[in-house]
Amino acid sequence: MTFRKISLMFLGAALVFGLGAGSVKAEFPEKPITLILPLGAGGSHDLNARVFTSILPSYLGNAMIVKLMPGASGQTGTAAAAHAKADGYTLIFTHNYYDQLQQHVKKLPYDTNKDFVSVAQLNSNDASLIVRADSPFKTLKNLVDFAKANPGKLKFAHSGVWGAVHVPAVRLFKEAGIKVTMVPYKGGGPSMRGFLAGEADFTLQFPSGIVSQGDKVRVLASGSKGMFKGVPSFGESGYSDDLGSMRRIIMAPKGIPADRLKKIQDALVKLQGDKTYKNMIKKIGETTNFINGPDYDKLRPGQSKTYKELITSLTK
Amino acid sequence: MWDSFLLGVEMAMRWDTMAMMGVGLMLGMFVGALPGFTTVMAMAILLPLSFFLEPLIGIPFLLGVYKGGIYGGSIPAILVSMPGTGASVATTFDGPALTKKGKGRKALEMALFSSAFGDLSSDIVTIMFIGPIALIALKVGPPELMAILFLALIVIAATSSGVFVKGLLMMVVGLFLGMVGQDPIGALSRFTFDIFQFRAGVPLLPMLIGVYALPEILIAIENRATGMIKQTINSREGGPLTFEEFRSCFRTICRSTMIGTVIGVVPGIGQVVAAFMGYAAAKNASKTPEKFGKGELEGIAAAEAANNAVNGPTMVPLLTLGIPGDNITVILIGAFIAQGLRPGPQLMVEQGPLVFAILVAMVLANILFLIIGYFTIPLFAKVVTIRKSILLPLTVVFAFAGSYVPRSDPFDLLVLVGFGAFGYLVKKLSFDVTPMVMAFILGKELEYSFGQTMVLAQGNLAQYLFFERPITAAIIIGTPFLTYMLWRRSSRLRNEVAAKLSDEIPS
Repeated sequence: MTFRKISLMFLGAALVFGLGAGSVKAEFPEKPITLILPLGAGGSHDLNARVFTSILPSYLGNAMIVKLMPGASGQTGTAAAAHAKADGYTLIFTHNYYDQLQQHVKKLPYDTNKDFVSVAQLNSNDASLIVRADSPFKTLKNLVDFAKANPGKLKFAHSGVWGAVHVPAVRLFKEAGIKVTMVPYKGGGPSMRGFLAGEADFTLQFPSGIVSQGDKVRVLASGSKGMFKGVPSFGESGYSDDLGSMRRIIMAPKGIPADRLKKIQDALVKLQGDKTYKNMIKKIGETTNFINGPDYDKLRPGQSKTYKELITSLTK
Repeated sequence: MWDSFLLGVEMAMRWDTMAMMGVGLMLGMFVGALPGFTTVMAMAILLPLSFFLEPLIGIPFLLGVYKGGIYGGSIPAILVSMPGTGASVATTFDGPALTKKGKGRKALEMALFSSAFGDLSSDIVTIMFIGPIALIALKVGPPELMAILFLALIVIAATSSGVFVKGLLMMVVGLFLGMVGQDPIGALSRFTFDIFQFRAGVPLLPMLIGVYALPEILIAIENRATGMIKQTINSREGGPLTFEEFRSCFRTICRSTMIGTVIGVVPGIGQVVAAFMGYAAAKNASKTPEKFGKGELEGIAAAEAANNAVNGPTMVPLLTLGIPGDNITVILIGAFIAQGLRPGPQLMVEQGPLVFAILVAMVLANILFLIIGYFTIPLFAKVVTIRKSILLPLTVVFAFAGSYVPRSDPFDLLVLVGFGAFGYLVKKLSFDVTPMVMAFILGKELEYSFGQTMVLAQGNLAQYLFFERPITAAIIIGTPFLTYMLWRRSSRLRNEVAAKLSDEIPS
């Protein structure tokens, strides 16, 4: 009786967690593909992954299972993917900072350039600079001028060191030649709370977070041109254009058979035309800035160079 | 406001909403009861399902998984001393002891009733005071969190069983273990000895299962070997909880519910801290505190009511500010957004009835859960009637599986075995592992919030705390007094118990 209960529990769990074996097919993929996320449950990567993996199977011919492996700022999951068999059944869904920046600040047990090849950039997201509605700063120039006159006085809330908010921010501060107090928070949500509660004077946020706050916040510079009506982008304000871009990328262990890589890429390309996908991705407030693998691979050396220069200038 | 509320009630009263919520509750309970599978994982996996359901079916479904999962986690904690999360650690103080006494079913039912009651009351309080709670939740920042965590650690040390100094020593061990890995502010590796797996810190789940479940198994085997237990049947599942037993714990449940609701306003660490505070308060108020930790139903009620009372207020920052407080609310925000509902200040204005409908659904989920739980508990309680020669190996299998599943890293099994051996050793030496585990969990948060506070103070700590953070300053000043009180009380109690014992034992 109890044994049956327990085995039923296991069976139920196996069904729920999609551990059941896929149907046997001669063609790749014969079994579900594992997509490692080096990030935790419920974050923006998780949400994006849940959306695209729920529609992709109809183009791929088999399921894609999300496997969360958070820890050590992405290193746990990335190491697991780097050491996985390059047979196309293990992929990783990561972002440009883990891919190209981390190698310059940490000793890693893998080399992203030697261990991974791009499958595609799923989308990108641009962070914009915001202040509270009652802030005295009306433009980015106001803020920069104040920071220049009062070094270290302004407080900036970010979601973690070398993360999607911290990196564009330090690039901006370097370009503007200002010094501010960096207040770390555990993720985007807590940093937004701290900012709204007045613990920090300004922060960077992605569009979905900004829109939901309505008229409580004011955008001083947007992550890309025309993102917010009447607000100049960082580029238009005299700084680098791609300052705040966080790119969500799918990578495969290097050595993946070319035909299998192509098959996954083709499925992702077809996904871009899918109505349900477009609709859902819009609902969760993300873009569909898709870049296919070969093109994305060309961008990586440039990113690495930018980050290397940034870090050398910050740490010297 | 009142109109929105009434509209919300009407919207939530649907049979299909109830049915899906029931399915979610069952699913959550089973997943939560499996060691290694956490409620957060189950919710993340089931999230896409809610994308394709309408809001008032998809969101209550996830809420069901959430509530069911949290209760499910206390089932292995009570039956085989295997806590799945920090929140159910306090439940292992009395749960397994009750199971050994043949009161497993009573313990499970007490956990169910007190969880449902704590949750239900906190949900109602949340609905009534959503505005003020939102204001407070926004203002609780790193300095307040730091002060509360500091206070919580002291309360935990004071309530640990056995010698106070031993408790403090274990706490220091826990704080040290919490420092292994990358430091929270600058992400630099500490005490990792270049072992890659330790960069992510000591994994929590293998540690929890290691120090709580493995020593229990080893000691059970030991007892059998020495021939102390000769019966083939492990123990009885026991009769159901009587109304009298529930009534005698009612004061404790109410007290814990209040504590939990207040702590629930603090995002993130709420459940762990609340369970301990509830337990400590109950022990303090009890006429027979020496019975706590040795199989007292009141101990279960205290911990479970408190950690579930946290649930109501944690929803507030999500609904009113669009800011999730913990992993679970992050997933719920995903469900909201995919439904085209953008949580934030305008949500209450634009979608007031829907927000109330969701809150009402939370209340209904508790009532539904009482019914579902009442009928499923006898099945779970039967677990202890399995013969020991089968149950023990089975528990070992679950312990290993539960440690391996979350990261699929064989290294975690080494951690499990290591902590199992450590747990057995310290148990033999009469150390309590709980201060260590709690210091491990809360120490990281304490360090993080301490670091944040230092940055926020911009080098002028005293001025910052006293002029900008009066609540923090008050808690910090009050802590030494409270510590003294707790210490005096505990030593007085110990003397009284000792006196009572010497009276009873004629020399």
